[in-house]
Amino acid sequence: MNSIIDDIRKTARQLLTEGKVDVVIGYEKGSLPLKATPCFVRSPQDVDKLIWDQTCENNLAAFVAKTLGKKAIIAKGCDSRALMVLIQENQVVRDDLYIIGVSCQGVIDQRKIEAETGEIIGASITDEKISVQGMECDKEYSFTDVKDVTCQTCRYPNPVLEDVHIGGSIEVPEQATLFADVIDMENKSDNERKAYFKEQMSKCIRCYACRNVCPLCYCQECFVDCNSPKWLTGGVDSAENLLFQTGRALHLAGRCVECGACSRACPQGVDIRALSRKVNKDVKEMYNHESGLTEEVKPALNVYSTDDPEAFLVKE
Amino acid sequence: MEQNPYIPITMKLIKNLCETEDKLVNTFTLQFLNKEDEENFKYMPGQFAELSAYGHGEAPFGIATSPTEPGIIKFSVAKVGCVSNALHLMEEGTMVGVRGPMGNYYPMETFKGKNLVIIGGGFAFTTLRSMAVYMLDEKHRADYGDITVIYGARNPGLLLYKEELAEWEANPKINLITTIDRPAEGWNKHVGFIPTIVGEVAPSAVDTYAVVCGPPVMIKYTLPVLEKLGFTPEQIYTSLEMRMKCGLGICGRCNIGPKYVCKDGPVFSMAQLKELPSEY
Amino acid sequence: MKISKEKFGQAFDALVAEYQIIAPVITDGDVNYKAVKSFSEVKQNYLNSKLPPKSFLFPQHEKLLSYKKEGKDVTVKNELKVEKTILFGIRPCDAKSMLLLDKVFKNDEYRDPYYYERRDNSIIIGIACNKIAPTCFCSSMGISPASSKGSDIFLVDLGNSYHVEIITEKGKALTAGLQELAELTAEEQALVNTIKSAETPSKVDVSTITAKLDKMFDHPYWDTLHEKCLSCNACSFSCPTCHCFDISEEVHKNEGSRVRTWDGCMAPLFTLHGSGHNPRDKKKARWRQRMLHKFNYFVHNNGDIACVGCGRCIKSCPVNMDIRQAIDGVNKAELVVD
Repeated sequence: MNSIIDDIRKTARQLLTEGKVDVVIGYEKGSLPLKATPCFVRSPQDVDKLIWDQTCENNLAAFVAKTLGKKAIIAKGCDSRALMVLIQENQVVRDDLYIIGVSCQGVIDQRKIEAETGEIIGASITDEKISVQGMECDKEYSFTDVKDVTCQTCRYPNPVLEDVHIGGSIEVPEQATLFADVIDMENKSDNERKAYFKEQMSKCIRCYACRNVCPLCYCQECFVDCNSPKWLTGGVDSAENLLFQTGRALHLAGRCVECGACSRACPQGVDIRALSRKVNKDVKEMYNHESGLTEEVKPALNVYSTDDPEAFLVKE
Repeated sequence: MEQNPYIPITMKLIKNLCETEDKLVNTFTLQFLNKEDEENFKYMPGQFAELSAYGHGEAPFGIATSPTEPGIIKFSVAKVGCVSNALHLMEEGTMVGVRGPMGNYYPMETFKGKNLVIIGGGFAFTTLRSMAVYMLDEKHRADYGDITVIYGARNPGLLLYKEELAEWEANPKINLITTIDRPAEGWNKHVGFIPTIVGEVAPSAVDTYAVVCGPPVMIKYTLPVLEKLGFTPEQIYTSLEMRMKCGLGICGRCNIGPKYVCKDGPVFSMAQLKELPSEY
Repeated sequence: MKISKEKFGQAFDALVAEYQIIAPVITDGDVNYKAVKSFSEVKQNYLNSKLPPKSFLFPQHEKLLSYKKEGKDVTVKNELKVEKTILFGIRPCDAKSMLLLDKVFKNDEYRDPYYYERRDNSIIIGIACNKIAPTCFCSSMGISPASSKGSDIFLVDLGNSYHVEIITEKGKALTAGLQELAELTAEEQALVNTIKSAETPSKVDVSTITAKLDKMFDHPYWDTLHEKCLSCNACSFSCPTCHCFDISEEVHKNEGSRVRTWDGCMAPLFTLHGSGHNPRDKKKARWRQRMLHKFNYFVHNNGDIACVGCGRCIKSCPVNMDIRQAIDGVNKAELVVD
């Protein structure tokens, strides 16, 4: 891990010193334990604040389009997939972008830890152990115990698009069943599913952290903000919230790169991922498409072919 | 029980008149339904009200009538959003909601005994009309010195209140100068942008107040002209536009620094604005 | 004076018939304020709620009026409805926030009846914090983890009993019937003293921030502060003092209602004019507004800082924007001498 950090800093320093980029978008240590925070390094003197570990949970691709000038970005597998889609959708100019690829073993699910230890007062990460000092109790975890749920099913931890690769790559274990979580959800009865989403959506406060943290939610005017026609009211009941969340999930169909940033960003802990995973499974089954893997294969719903399945148009 | 400032009074739209040839500005004449409502709606030139088109929403507009015109109030509104569109399409006789009057007003007391130069551009002429009509009223005319109105639009068809402007031209109690941006057939008055015309025709700054309303770019270029003519920031007033919702200084969006445009404004002197951040 | 939790619970349950009682409960793993029917539902030993209790005075979504259109006519109905309410287990930061909200919803000209009718019909039972979270910094905001400011009745949790202080006339009236109050033991008194003298370990210095911000509108500090912000409203919606709102229309055929909903200064649409002009279209301007509103404009208008140090914005921010660091940054910013 330390050698990765050294190499990231070295690369960033070199890029800035040689004037190849104006800014390096990376992570620095956050103000809270087990929390990294995005940072924008513009001078070679500042590169030593860059870090890399299992707390680097944001998808930095979200910042690329809004950051002026030539930029380098630290990209995990999912970040690089988001960049790929952004390039395909002409949101980012590839030549303005220098991608520092790092393979990612996953990020920590803080909520899982806090559910046991209470609010985290302090923590340290060593190679395999995470030691947490909590308000309720202190506890030691192995990383796999507290790996974010998104990362547990990640099949692309290695960047798919990069200008330089730092550190080694990660081998992806074969998954017996893809989308096991979605299949579980599909196997529930209508009423069970309805009850689940009603409960989840009742927590949503419509702060739009999920939308704003998403690298692929870049619409100039989001449908929820549109007032003619007005798709949604300002209501915060579970029906209105579900309409927002499903609308968003459907707009990401064939585009979502499963970084899980939306679910992690949600201050209310809404299971947003349950919706996007279902859409991703459908897109995979109908179009055999996974977004942001190669430059040639465009997002499934951005292209048309005469043999596209139409299962969603005709009720069979 | 005290008045609930969020509940509008109901008023009747008795006239929906298209003002401009581009059909983008209409003047709505609203009638009070009873004496009590009218008595509670005591206003001064420069104030605004929140107008409700039920089914569409509510938006703030400057009051174009003067308190010297009883029984009704008028608003001249450009078609820009949901509420203004609905109002433009509204049939005469329809009931609308009105909350107000809101905000402060032109300092008519301070202006007493002074000359006034009123400078307006485009459809931002509404509360300026209110002020001119107020001062022209026989009860008030003697309180003020010379009144000069400099009013411009892109072309003749975009001037508001054309009939009234014609009356003012013939009225010795007011000096009206109209201008359009580019020459047009049949137009024999001034041609040129407001700042230029102001430089040519504005009266001396001695004992004079200037009130300027119009698009931001017009205001931006008119202010230096006024300064050159000797107007101090204390002698120049303007009325600001801002996105507003409550109109009560509560909902938090129309602030410039610590001031809320809806409650502490919309009328500010340039001297006051110089003390505030330039975030408007 | 103290009362056993058992006796307290009986008195609490007896009030359910007359009052809507809002208290901290666990919902899906989080502590939040909800209406309860019995003291047994109330969560004990919690740090603080995920969302502040402000929604019981200023709901996220509330009908102001409803109307019905018939032809060209319209009938309008005031939708203000208020229940007598007890807000139980309110932490000192949130109790203070209500004093700040009081200043917002009433000014020299207007009084907001929706807020004030609720406020006037609410009784605040505050409770001291026995535990202090690492993100708490209320001790820097004119209160402390055991401040009774803003409470009508103030409790200290002693395990099996509460130490009770009656702060206001409202509190006195509510507790008039309470029997069985007992003296504290020396040991309990010592515990009360310890809790009452506690301070948050995390602190910020706001002693000169208002005066400094007077001179900082054009400071380059704002150029980078906002950079990682996502412009969401997680901070505003979890803040007990944020109070900005939107008013919109909800229509169904010829009937509808006018509603107000929470809004926030972080969203770019917040200040967008009908003309397309937007005075705060940049994130930089919006973060400056957030800081200036809380630590400067609010002080000029209302004599206090609009932050109570609850730390919720720090916990809820998806990119770890930390208002304590933002405050430190202002303190450290160099002013250009002209």
